[in-house]
Amino acid sequence: MANTKEISRRIKSVTSTRKITKAMEMVAAAKMKKAISAVLKTRTYANLSWETVLHLVQAPISQAEFSHPLLELRSEIKRVAIILITSNRGMCGGYNSLIISKAKESVKKHNLETDFILVGTKGSIIRNQDYNIVADFKKNDLITDSQEVYPLAKMVLDAYQSGKYDKVLVAYTDFVNAVTQVPRIKQLLPVTLENEEYLGIIGKDSKIGLTPEDAAAREEKHLSQDDFVYEYFFEPNPQEVLDKMIPRLIEVQLYQAFLEASASEHSARMSAMNQATEAADDMVNELTLFYNKARQASITAEIAEISAGANALAE
Amino acid sequence: MDKKTIKFEIVTLERVVLKEKILQVSVPTTSGEITVLPGHIPLISILQAGVIEIKLTDGSLDIMSVSGGFIEVMKGKVVILADTAERAAEIDDQRVNEAYTRADELKKKLKDHQGREFFSLTARIDKELARHRAVKRWRRLKGIK
Repeated sequence: MANTKEISRRIKSVTSTRKITKAMEMVAAAKMKKAISAVLKTRTYANLSWETVLHLVQAPISQAEFSHPLLELRSEIKRVAIILITSNRGMCGGYNSLIISKAKESVKKHNLETDFILVGTKGSIIRNQDYNIVADFKKNDLITDSQEVYPLAKMVLDAYQSGKYDKVLVAYTDFVNAVTQVPRIKQLLPVTLENEEYLGIIGKDSKIGLTPEDAAAREEKHLSQDDFVYEYFFEPNPQEVLDKMIPRLIEVQLYQAFLEASASEHSARMSAMNQATEAADDMVNELTLFYNKARQASITAEIAEISAGANALAE
Repeated sequence: MDKKTIKFEIVTLERVVLKEKILQVSVPTTSGEITVLPGHIPLISILQAGVIEIKLTDGSLDIMSVSGGFIEVMKGKVVILADTAERAAEIDDQRVNEAYTRADELKKKLKDHQGREFFSLTARIDKELARHRAVKRWRRLKGIK
């Protein structure tokens, strides 16, 4: 058995590591809270803008056929772009590896030429794996400003409109609750009005991740409340409004994906650090037991020596 | 006397700026300033940077600055989706002025008056100007009160 000095040194080092993991857990928890409240705040805007687009498309207007290049499905899909949202730092369990493997899976399934757009530094792992990376965006650990997504949104919109890509996907981690995060791939462009993915109306409750059926049901309920037919007056004209509205919708969606991803990241880190703290606790307990045993053994040995010496003298 | 009111909501991506029942609202659209009163026909329009003036149910006025976005007028309801919006009471005028001068100087330094940078700077100047105007209007209002 190791001597007491060595064991006590190990106990010390594990204890200080535990302090660090505990602190990281607490920081992650605080960041997660902020990220969740940001997601909830964005929802009002997202819902209202989505409603407006639905109204626009449903509006019975004869002079203008509502079509928009961003709403049309292209008959032939040649090239796909995937926006991969990862974290900047590690220590968050399987967060990054899960989303990366999900993205790879989808590339395999589609079997089309695919370009990757990376967001966050950890995504660069795929650099040496024979994937085509066209851009690498930085992101902040805590997203608070929607302007962060504008350059990215502009880039994909331009590339899509110029015909470089026929489909743009976002790979991000959906925040369901503090213990569950689901990697998900969502179609960003073209915008589909049939909401297979929940872009539609989402309730005000704090449950962030939603199944598509759930979202569809809510949308149905929400829109059926006002049943009169909207006959809008457009200024300057419907086409122009749609031209402005749809890119905005893309930005909102991207922003939401960013927020969901960051909420997931921080909660993943929180639970990873929580586990690390618990493991450190176990280790300290075990080491303390060893330490006490070693101490007792050495005392016993000493007593044995002394009594042996006393016995020898007495004889 | 029971006045007719409109449900009014102004939201940005980051927050709900105001949600209240109001009597009337004036907004700057790309095709000129419009005032919405109860019973207005359904309308969708694009906003430009400027000042929004709201008449609350108690007859007092509230001023906001907006940097662009959309307005949707429905039956008895007005929704503004703003890129950014602030209530005049929340704006710090000194910082607005500083931001404006900074943007203006940058614009003067730019040689190329076509590029994207130029447009984004112009938009920034418009935004700061709108904020400045909102504050001025707000001050004048308060002075009268």
